[in-house]
Amino acid sequence: MEPLFINLAEAFTGWMISLGLDPGWAEAVLLVVKWIIVVTIITVNIIILIWLERKVSAFFQERLGPNRLGPFGIFQTIADAIKLLTKEDIVPSAADKLIFKTAPMFFIVVAVMLYTVIPMGKGMQVINLNVGLLFFISVGSLSTIALLMAGWGSNNKWSLMGAVRSVAQMVSYAIPLAFSLLGVVMITGSLNLQDIVLAQDKWWFVILQPIAFITYFIAATAELNRGPFDMPEAEQELTGGAYTEYTGMRWALFFLAEYTNLVAVSALMATVFLGGWQGPWLPSWLWIIIKTYAIILVFFWVKWTFPRIRMDHLMSFSWKVLVPVSLGNILLTGAGIYFCRWMGWC
Amino acid sequence: MLESDIYTVNVGPIHPSTHGGLHAEAIMDGEIIENVIVHLGYVHRSVEKIAEGKTYQQYVPYTARLDYLATNLPVLGYCQAVEKLLGIEVPERAQYIRVIMAELSRIASHQIAISATGIDLGATTGLMYGMRDRERIMNIFEMTGGQRLLSSYIRIGGVAADIPDGFIPAVMSLVQDIPGMMDEYNGLMTGNEIWAARMQGVGILTPETAIQYGVTGPNLRASGIAYDLRRAEPDGIYHRFEFDIPTRNGGDSLDRWQVRIDEIGESGRIIEQALEGMPNGEISTRVPKVLKPEPGKEVYHRIESAKGELGYYIVSDGSSKPYRLHVRAPSFINLMVLPVICRGGVFQDLITNIATLDPILGESDR
Amino acid sequence: MNGQGLIKGLAITLKHFFQKEITEQYPDVMPELAPRFRGCLRFEFEKCIACGICVNSCPNDVLSFETEKRDKSKKKKLLSYTIDFQYCMFCNLCVEGCPTSCLSFDHDFELSQFKREDIKMIYLRPEGLDEAQDSPADQEEQKDKEQKQIAAMLKALQKSPQKVLSKLLEGEEDINILSELIQSDQKTAGKIAELIVKDKEKAVKVATGFINKDRKNRAQKGENGEGGDKDV
Repeated sequence: MEPLFINLAEAFTGWMISLGLDPGWAEAVLLVVKWIIVVTIITVNIIILIWLERKVSAFFQERLGPNRLGPFGIFQTIADAIKLLTKEDIVPSAADKLIFKTAPMFFIVVAVMLYTVIPMGKGMQVINLNVGLLFFISVGSLSTIALLMAGWGSNNKWSLMGAVRSVAQMVSYAIPLAFSLLGVVMITGSLNLQDIVLAQDKWWFVILQPIAFITYFIAATAELNRGPFDMPEAEQELTGGAYTEYTGMRWALFFLAEYTNLVAVSALMATVFLGGWQGPWLPSWLWIIIKTYAIILVFFWVKWTFPRIRMDHLMSFSWKVLVPVSLGNILLTGAGIYFCRWMGWC
Repeated sequence: MLESDIYTVNVGPIHPSTHGGLHAEAIMDGEIIENVIVHLGYVHRSVEKIAEGKTYQQYVPYTARLDYLATNLPVLGYCQAVEKLLGIEVPERAQYIRVIMAELSRIASHQIAISATGIDLGATTGLMYGMRDRERIMNIFEMTGGQRLLSSYIRIGGVAADIPDGFIPAVMSLVQDIPGMMDEYNGLMTGNEIWAARMQGVGILTPETAIQYGVTGPNLRASGIAYDLRRAEPDGIYHRFEFDIPTRNGGDSLDRWQVRIDEIGESGRIIEQALEGMPNGEISTRVPKVLKPEPGKEVYHRIESAKGELGYYIVSDGSSKPYRLHVRAPSFINLMVLPVICRGGVFQDLITNIATLDPILGESDR
Repeated sequence: MNGQGLIKGLAITLKHFFQKEITEQYPDVMPELAPRFRGCLRFEFEKCIACGICVNSCPNDVLSFETEKRDKSKKKKLLSYTIDFQYCMFCNLCVEGCPTSCLSFDHDFELSQFKREDIKMIYLRPEGLDEAQDSPADQEEQKDKEQKQIAAMLKALQKSPQKVLSKLLEGEEDINILSELIQSDQKTAGKIAELIVKDKEKAVKVATGFINKDRKNRAQKGENGEGGDKDV
């Protein structure tokens, strides 16, 4: 089972070459095919994930959740998707139309781009980038722009407030997010995600870097705009924040992109802190799925338990707690590395 | 320095957190609230005017629609006012049943306040737990009055029907579970650091301001004034029961929230005592089909409703219909302090303050 | 503080995650309703005596009915009964007021309709429901009432027969004859009283018969021998 997908890819390339295609072109075609597969997996995965969140949140609240369509209501999301697709697409007359229309597309593109570097198994990656982690962080913070576009383009006070909040929040939390990953980079000495996974064959970094793990988790929740940090959306306050004016499929794209981000961030968390695809007995690609889903469930758990944080507390928490703590963690890691070298352990 | 300008945000009347049709016009400077203008009247149903066209008995179901979350309390207040007007004595058993129903309504109302605060602050699960527990009270109402929300059970001169079989065990088990419920609300929300940070020091209502504005009910008691009409001016048989008046001193949102949780416990105590002391006997005095009070007689009767001092002022002209009826709605008066307690806070505090003031728009707009 | 509250909250939600769900699966499992539950308002035509208490007690003018005067008695005949259900607020005042309990709430709570007209419930007089087929309770009540009226009439007759009879008969002589008859004979008095209450025309006929008979009797007494007319 282990090299299933790699063998498939090799067989595909071999078939292309046997058709008389230049090996370079065959690689390019394979890349496109990989992308298509990734996008398909994302979409299917998200349909499951939305259903899962509704089900899990229902269980937390002693409800049943969707249970009408199909066994355990599993087709509910599909029905919802059809509903959203066929809904009237309303663009407010006062909106900045170009920005309003491009914002959801931009958001989803950015979200899908994150999957480029995530190692989905042993040797399984769309592109094995040597600065994978840096790529992930920088592309991840691009979604701020999409939210700002949505808020500005809508020409609505709620949307703008949501957008402004999201910019402030995401910019502030990108710093502890990056800092908390730095400790890991210092230990492995590489930004390549495959290298980071391989470095965890003995100890997962969650054991070596517990503080970084927690700070990353908190910062990631804020980056994902998930509860308790769902400021940009904040239904109960901003009536939907940046998404207030969106309807139908445009709104659904935001929704999709949020879940895409959620999976990507959880997968990165599994890769960096939980040993990635490494694990006994099961094939590597199954391990990463299991770990990602475990983290996603924790995200759900947190969202459906906590109240929303206040905006000013959120900002001061980032700058006064998370940034100093993650900086301290870097210092501690550096000291630890020197100590290890001095003792001759590594 | 960047130049900044104030702008308005209309919170409501269509907004997820305005508890009905409240329209709060927030005048803001960035995220800071400069002022709030409360616009009322979106749920105006001219309840007071309707009273002039209905007989005294016919008006009873309308009063239940004033505070539909604590349905028996406004009905109780109205029926007692009419009884005062006509000098009708209510039988002992009916008095005890009324106290039980009133306190159950108070618990139901506070549970809505608690759980709605949960969802307004983003803790959706808090809403579900509160509603789940409230459902048991609704079932008791269904058992006695036939309806869940607007049970129309208390009547002029007593109650509509005697308590059914299974009522006492159901109420007893509910009362016994109250401490567990309170633990759960406290564990999930009160003890939560995010929750405390959102509420502590938010929307401080000083006792002076509270008295100036005529704030009553849990909102006043959260400001440290132990004023409860059940103690200060007991209606019916409230003087027979032993209970504490929960108070807090800060007057902020967290205090208002905690006073309500504490009051649930006190209501439970009253219900327990009422169940023990309930005698057998009549459940209603014989009241004539057409009630004609003395012409020119007027009466003001007030009770401690879930939201505060609920008063009915009735003027009779000798006919079977009231000449004038006025409702002193606690929510209306409590809402007037919203601008005062919101000023200087951030936008999210407005939501917290609306939630913890616990207005009911059916009552304030009337 | 310091995160303990957060962890406690997480523990509470986790505990509930594994607890039994409380959702009522309504269309699949119908809810158990309390006996006093007020669903749809139902009306039983046979029991109604068209007293109008329900209409008067309804706060929202939901109820209305049409009646027709019955020819012989004062009682009204119910033709149709309308419940304009969209205005009903389920306050139970009509049901509590109804003396014959012909109104009741059942447990049907699925009251939505596609058309506004369908909400209105109109009960028309069922065919074959005649005065004679009035409900036993109704008949009994009517009988009671009549009996009382007859007793009162009898008393009045015996006390001041001339005054009562003057409303029935015209000739002064006739009245005098019948008055004497009534005062002398309890049976005749009873019969006349009953007839006056039940059917005035018949009472006049019977009274005239009595008078004629009495006249003949007197004539017989006077003339000694002529046969009496026994056609009364």
